[in-house]
Amino acid sequence: MKKLFLSILASLFISTSTMAAEVNIFSARHYDSDTQLYKKFTALTGIKVNVVSGKDKALQKRIKEEGKDCKGDLYITADAGRLGSFQAAGMFQRGASSKGIKKAVSSNFRTAYWTGIAKRARVIYYNPSRTTPLAGMTYEDLANPKYKGKVVIRQSNNVYNQSLVASLIQNNGSKATAEWAKGLVSNFARPAKGNDRAQILAVAAGEADWAVANTYYIALMLSGKKGPEQQAAAKKVKPFFPNQDGRGTHMNISGGGILKYAPNKTNAVKLLEFLVTPDAQKHIVNNTFEYPIIDSVEPNKLIAQFGLGFKQDLKTKVSSYGKKQAEALKIMTKAGWN
Amino acid sequence: MLKKLNFWYLSSLLVPLLVAIPIITIFFSFFETTSDYLTLLKDTFLLQYISNSIFILIGVLFLTLIFGVTSAYFVSFYNFPGVNFFKWALILSFAVPGYIYAYSLTAFFENYGTAFSILTSLFGEGEYNKHIPKFDGLIGSIFSISFSLFGYVYVLTRASFIYQSHNLIEVGKNLGFSTNRSFFKIILPSARPAIVAGLSLAAMETLSDFGTVSFFSISTLTTAIYNAWISFDDLSTANQLSFLLLFFILILFIIENYSRKRAKYHQPSRGFKSIPKIELKGKKSILPFSFCSLLFFCSFVFPVAQMGYWTIKFPKYFQDIDLWLLNFNTLLLVFLSSVCLIVFSFLSNYGNRISKSKLLNYLSAFSISGYAIPGIILAVAFITFISWLSDTFSSTFGFESFKPLFIGSIAGLVLAYFVRFFSLSFNGIKTGYLKINQSIDDSAYLLGYSKLKTFTSIHIPYLKNSIFLVGVLIAIEIIKELPITLILRPFNFETFATKAYSYAAQDLLEAAAFPSLCLVIWASLFILFVSRYILSDK
Repeated sequence: MKKLFLSILASLFISTSTMAAEVNIFSARHYDSDTQLYKKFTALTGIKVNVVSGKDKALQKRIKEEGKDCKGDLYITADAGRLGSFQAAGMFQRGASSKGIKKAVSSNFRTAYWTGIAKRARVIYYNPSRTTPLAGMTYEDLANPKYKGKVVIRQSNNVYNQSLVASLIQNNGSKATAEWAKGLVSNFARPAKGNDRAQILAVAAGEADWAVANTYYIALMLSGKKGPEQQAAAKKVKPFFPNQDGRGTHMNISGGGILKYAPNKTNAVKLLEFLVTPDAQKHIVNNTFEYPIIDSVEPNKLIAQFGLGFKQDLKTKVSSYGKKQAEALKIMTKAGWN
Repeated sequence: MLKKLNFWYLSSLLVPLLVAIPIITIFFSFFETTSDYLTLLKDTFLLQYISNSIFILIGVLFLTLIFGVTSAYFVSFYNFPGVNFFKWALILSFAVPGYIYAYSLTAFFENYGTAFSILTSLFGEGEYNKHIPKFDGLIGSIFSISFSLFGYVYVLTRASFIYQSHNLIEVGKNLGFSTNRSFFKIILPSARPAIVAGLSLAAMETLSDFGTVSFFSISTLTTAIYNAWISFDDLSTANQLSFLLLFFILILFIIENYSRKRAKYHQPSRGFKSIPKIELKGKKSILPFSFCSLLFFCSFVFPVAQMGYWTIKFPKYFQDIDLWLLNFNTLLLVFLSSVCLIVFSFLSNYGNRISKSKLLNYLSAFSISGYAIPGIILAVAFITFISWLSDTFSSTFGFESFKPLFIGSIAGLVLAYFVRFFSLSFNGIKTGYLKINQSIDDSAYLLGYSKLKTFTSIHIPYLKNSIFLVGVLIAIEIIKELPITLILRPFNFETFATKAYSYAAQDLLEAAAFPSLCLVIWASLFILFVSRYILSDK
């Protein structure tokens, strides 16, 4: 009895079961399909995958404070800026660009510390029965006074917006971007609210003509996973890929980096390499509707139907987002972007 | 004698200190250098954030006061059709956290939402989106938070109504007071400590709410704290803003303490006869019946129906959920935390009572603001503190690091919950204690009872109902708790709340419906299990 009690007591203080072959992930991506993918990895390699998921910065804080005691091997998240700022804080170690990864992933979407595992494009949505975008329409155009009261976008504290604005700062400079942000805010059809899907719905319902949102949201709606009404609403809108005559459409990544004190570094590299294999990439694009990070796999057909030949912004390195995000938020806040 | 006093004193001194950890941590990072986020914020949105916080606070206080006191009054003093049902059904609102209420409101009223589907199936295709009211933003937040919190006011006010001495009512009758006059002159004033206690709990939860307001994209002080921290890595600005938030809370506590002092009604030890209820039939019963029905519908039936509808409409999301494990994890946390909290709340309360120390009183009033700090900030402060303590011990005494014992372990979760919910538990038991006249203790001592025996043989049996009530409140809070669990949990550890969150985070509220529903069902079961004790008329 006493032994039983003691062993129960001990189990309360033990944070992870330690196995011979394992890899521990801190993840700010919440997809169930990721969990299924990790199971495939375990079946293939015998390496057990343990996960804690949560809000981004909260996880980062935990990792920082745990320091050398941190059992995490990989940190996975859905924004290049976050990977970049965590790298700048010295929390990653080199090794993410192993030979296998270098071969698979274009240099634009990785550094020595972390690598992309999927791509997402932030695009403009419109309702073809109400408006047609001019060829060559840009993110910059959204601040044009002729669109007064016609634009919807989510809040400035959203990291996808911060990365988008960071890329504008990188390309156009702070001053021009600050002007742009003011113009954009004065074009808002309503104060920024809701998630990306809510912006698409606002265009479908005629509340606004233009919405900015990531590509995979419309595919999620079209897939029927959110019911027939959302599916029908999604059919009313079309994505438009901006800046085709210039640098191309803003691209962001989901990605992972190897943590500084990773106890299972070899396994972590193995997992990253696994995630960029064609099989894993197929699994990702068919579940999350992101774009593949490797060229040999096609996106899901719900995404592919909008065109594959669009020009991606490969000029602006995704690793620059992290450096400019804080400034981006400052500019947005000053412009009155709530 | 002195030795025993020291034990009580010491334990009541240590617990508040433990609970004060986040405040202490915040205090020590108060003077660190800041980035220019604070300046920027002052120039732009700070006033708006503060006014949003105050607007929501006032809205919630107003609604919870009306909902809570009116319904408590109806079910305590009148007999009307369904009164015995409403008596416990109204507490079920506790089972629905603000963020889940917000999911439901949005799901129902959003463009192409459930209301749109219903209208389409009734009247065919049409442009309904424009005509469906949108419950979002400030109004949506106020409604979501009020419906999920009015139960505090209801339960505490009702308990106070029930325990009011029959004599008080008799006195009113003898003085020839009308029903209305008795209510406003006698019943309401003597229930004031309970009402204020309920309102201050609701107010604290409102100010520290993150899930609901961030879901509706309303910027409040809490959002500002989160932004300072999340986007600027500027913990010291976050902490300074937290101080501002704590300042609001402190005001609330001063109000609460002041009003308790002014209304220092010890319940007499005799006269717990239940009050004869006034029979209402026919037309007269319409008002209380429809008020209670509407309140029950809005606070419980509506969100549950929305979640249930989704669960049935999207059955494939069932399969991904390991129900057995989620149940086990949730209950384990509830059990461990409730036991710790109740035991230590008793110790503290009793210590305060017998030592009559002003220092202890202030200290416990100070420590309970752990409840007012947003959970997510509290969790960070907790991690920061543990990490600092462990590093200090390692470098000074050469100890092994004990971080893994408390960060990413069940024990750490329980400890953080303890810090968070001590106020709830301490105050719940304090409310019970206030009803035990000091003369009872004195008589016990005269009979030769030791302090320990007075505690175990008199106070604990006397406060049985309070224990159950507090136990349930803690259980419900822990079942609903999200940010602390999310940050501090071990690997591969999910509760209903984290599962629902992770679906909501991938924009699949449809899949979040089932774990949310389970969460609500569990919380409801807890409520029903002890409703006999909470609502006992004796």
